[in-house]
Amino acid sequence: MVELTLQALFSGLLAGGTYATLALGLALVFGTMRIINLAHGELVLLAAYVAFEMERSAGLNPLASIPVALVVVGLTALAIYLAVSRIRTDRELNSLLLTFGVAIVLTNLILIVWSADIRSTSSGWFLEGFVIADTLFSMRSEVVFFGVGLALIAATWWWLNHSWLGRALRAVSSNRDAALLMGVNPALVEGLSFVVSGVLATFSGIAIYCATVVFPALGHNLTIKAFVITVLAGMGSVPGVLIGAILIGMGESLTATFAKPSLQELTAMVVFLLILFLRPRGLFGRR
Amino acid sequence: MRAAPRTPLVLAVLLLAYVAVPLAFGGQDYVMSLIIAALTIGGIAVAWALLGNLGGLVSFGHAAFFGVGAYVSALLTLDAGWPVLPAMLAGGLGAAVASVATLPALRLRGPYFALAILAYAHIFKILAVEFESVTGGAGGLLSIPGFPTVLGLELGSKVGAYCLILTIVLAWMAVYAAIRGSTWGLALRAMHDSELATRVVGVPSTHLKALMLLVSAFMTGVIGAFNAHQISFLDPDYAFSGEWTVLPIAAAIFGGYRTVWGPVIGALAVYLVDQLVFKELMPSGHQLIFGLLLGAMILWSPQGLLPLISRLGLRSGEGGDKEGKPGARA
Amino acid sequence: MRQSRFIKGLAAKSLIAGIAGLGAVALAGTAAAEDFALGSHVPLTGKLARVGTGMHEGIAVAVALANERYAGRHSFSVETIDDETSPAKAVAAVEKLAADEVVAFTGGYGSNIIGPASEAAAKADKVYITSGGVAPGLTERGMTGFFRINNSAGYGKAMVGLFDEMGVEKVAILFSNKEATSGMAKYVEKHLEEAGVEVTMHEFDGSTTDFKPIMNNVKLRDRPDAVAMIGYENDYVGILRAGTVLKPDVKAMVGVWSLATSQMNEEFHDLVQNVYGTSLLPYPVEFQGEEAQAFAAKYEELHGQKPDYLGQFGYVQTTLLVDAIVRAFEDDQKIEAGEIAEELRAVEADTLIGDVVFDEKGDNPSFSHRMGQHRGDRVEIVWPKKAQTAEMNFPAVPW
Repeated sequence: MVELTLQALFSGLLAGGTYATLALGLALVFGTMRIINLAHGELVLLAAYVAFEMERSAGLNPLASIPVALVVVGLTALAIYLAVSRIRTDRELNSLLLTFGVAIVLTNLILIVWSADIRSTSSGWFLEGFVIADTLFSMRSEVVFFGVGLALIAATWWWLNHSWLGRALRAVSSNRDAALLMGVNPALVEGLSFVVSGVLATFSGIAIYCATVVFPALGHNLTIKAFVITVLAGMGSVPGVLIGAILIGMGESLTATFAKPSLQELTAMVVFLLILFLRPRGLFGRR
Repeated sequence: MRAAPRTPLVLAVLLLAYVAVPLAFGGQDYVMSLIIAALTIGGIAVAWALLGNLGGLVSFGHAAFFGVGAYVSALLTLDAGWPVLPAMLAGGLGAAVASVATLPALRLRGPYFALAILAYAHIFKILAVEFESVTGGAGGLLSIPGFPTVLGLELGSKVGAYCLILTIVLAWMAVYAAIRGSTWGLALRAMHDSELATRVVGVPSTHLKALMLLVSAFMTGVIGAFNAHQISFLDPDYAFSGEWTVLPIAAAIFGGYRTVWGPVIGALAVYLVDQLVFKELMPSGHQLIFGLLLGAMILWSPQGLLPLISRLGLRSGEGGDKEGKPGARA
Repeated sequence: MRQSRFIKGLAAKSLIAGIAGLGAVALAGTAAAEDFALGSHVPLTGKLARVGTGMHEGIAVAVALANERYAGRHSFSVETIDDETSPAKAVAAVEKLAADEVVAFTGGYGSNIIGPASEAAAKADKVYITSGGVAPGLTERGMTGFFRINNSAGYGKAMVGLFDEMGVEKVAILFSNKEATSGMAKYVEKHLEEAGVEVTMHEFDGSTTDFKPIMNNVKLRDRPDAVAMIGYENDYVGILRAGTVLKPDVKAMVGVWSLATSQMNEEFHDLVQNVYGTSLLPYPVEFQGEEAQAFAAKYEELHGQKPDYLGQFGYVQTTLLVDAIVRAFEDDQKIEAGEIAEELRAVEADTLIGDVVFDEKGDNPSFSHRMGQHRGDRVEIVWPKKAQTAEMNFPAVPW
């Protein structure tokens, strides 16, 4: 019983790390621009497929393909931003639909280029077991990318709070006109937040490619999960993303262990609704 | 002033829809099937637009109401031996009852509300899988009874099913138009602009919004029930599929969701052009074109097709009063 | 009116266009016809894109080989429409193909799509043959023109038979909460319990990626002799990876479809070692007999890869249909209503997937799958005894 609980919490914690990395990029754009990028899951998936292609055709380790993936996904994110920034009216709703269109395009492109087969890394190193005290079991990839995820979250948090650009970003998000008056170019800063979100999506995609399998239809599920965690966290709160993600991860693994595995999605959704009703602006929402 | 010039147009459209379309395509089952499917999407789009335009609530989970309506109606006919048409109404009621569970979400705003409804759709789907003794679980329901013959009209035939869904969709459009034109509609739209202002003048905004949610859920539920009896099969994945949310939204936006005609015209355009043209050009993966077009639409004509048509019409010097009828927006 | 003419124009255009790339040839009249156009709807996009594409490739091979086999006498083509994993679109596809006057239908994946699509085919009075839906209800609808060459009982028999031969006493079943998988899980549960085997059930959601919590329950609580996995490729990979990490003390990991395949052996080589799954033929395929070899060669030629089980099923169903069409035609140079169905019902064939004999419901009761086991670079057939290419390696797991 103790062993089961510990393993469930451990699995949930690691899953939470993956979820946090997944959601962080979405949360960043949501926090700064009030835009929900419905193509975020597809950006993550695109990074995974770049890693797959590099591994298949050049025999590269998934980690070694990160630079290429960064360029591909970063540019795609920038392109999405350029499209979104052209929206003039009702930006909240229209950006949803625009990015939804982008998501459809990306999903179908991935399907056409890489077919519907499932893909995952063939690098055995990532899949080796990582066992703590003979009770906590995980794969190396999960532990490695949990660490990477924490580092990314810390870096993002630091960047938003302590760097000039990060502060500019927050200034733009709270008052666009005032920021403009103070010499911040909102378009530049918003574009930057999209690119950073692409960077975060890249790491998330590589992590998913190394631990689980990817297929073209996965992007939609990823977006929804990221979306749930973002809302749970509260408007653009970086620590909230981590805590919300771990909460969902642990909730799922505890349900799978002690109730019924098929109910884990239900747990995630109920937790999400409850928090939303009790704290309509999320766990760490401001204003 | 407003109603008078529109009457001939409405009559012409009705004539076209009830007489010309069956005459032209009645022999081509697959065209009728596509039109029926497009109208199904259009019906949900009207319900979605009602909630979006009048309630100011953007829902990402209308699949929840579609699925509940489908299941309630299918189960009533299969297990309780109800006739199909009353069961479909009950399906709508079932969806409205289910929407009561979503009322707490009304206090949420914008994307929070959208996502909360999506969560409900997920939850309903999981419940449909888990309550196997009632719903048949993941295996779903096979051989759901089809439509009866009413007054000599065989609703089970392609043309019959078409007339049925057409009638339902037109009825929902009438409801939408009636609510929109009523004092409630005025209050609701004022609320859309400034919630504070309407509260000051004493409109119970939450009650009105709740009412819109119930009406929208009822409409969607009836459409879901229609689909269940038409396809004669149901499983949780299908009944609560994201398609039932996403396509209607795209259709409503395409057509222009602030108009009464927009959602349906959008659905017809989106679905038929996608299936008849894009699929021809690109047998697999043609949704890619659809995605591109959706993006382009948002960028260049975010108000939808109708304003676009009228704009083009004006530019060609003809005036916009042909079929686009932008006047419906006023 | 303008709009209506617009749509009509489109409809006419779409009527004309052939899709298969083999050059769809319309069936002109009946008496002198030597060209037969088959209709096919398969999911090439959407959730079932992977399996739909597999079947689609097999159908193309069957048509290409039929053209060689009947060269000079008849020619065949197939007009395919992507049903996008949607029942409504599948129905429209069947109706469109029927309007194009295809002779009969081959294809379809997913019982919920095959159901309405085959009803549309029946309405057009056309035969519909498939291997993509195993739900028992499909053959209980009293349809005379519906045929399928496989069924869930055939898969279940193979799995239960293998467990029986292993002599296991306790089995944990991990299954996805989808239509085909939960139906199969219940079949296996019932028959194992009847055989006195203790069974524990773990139903998981299709979106599950981390199977460690489930596997830990299996390891610490259930302690079964063997694990039965009933899901799809991504589920198998997740379950086996969780097993590799947690190393539960079981004697065998057994799956069903999509597992003992060449693709899984190549792409997830270490992960699937000693794992069992349904498989018709060993791998590398030792195709015996002329037909099988011709099939494999043509498959590689057309698709640049080794055939998998989906291709085999698609090939067999289409070949049976083609031969039935030719027989129906050649007796009197025309095809009467119901004649193709009659010919199919008279079939007694030994095919790549085993014996095919249709009963009056169109089901193939003699269908029984075989179980393969991944061994190094090979997949050996280990059950039933008469089809064995190797003794099963038991107990053995990937870790």
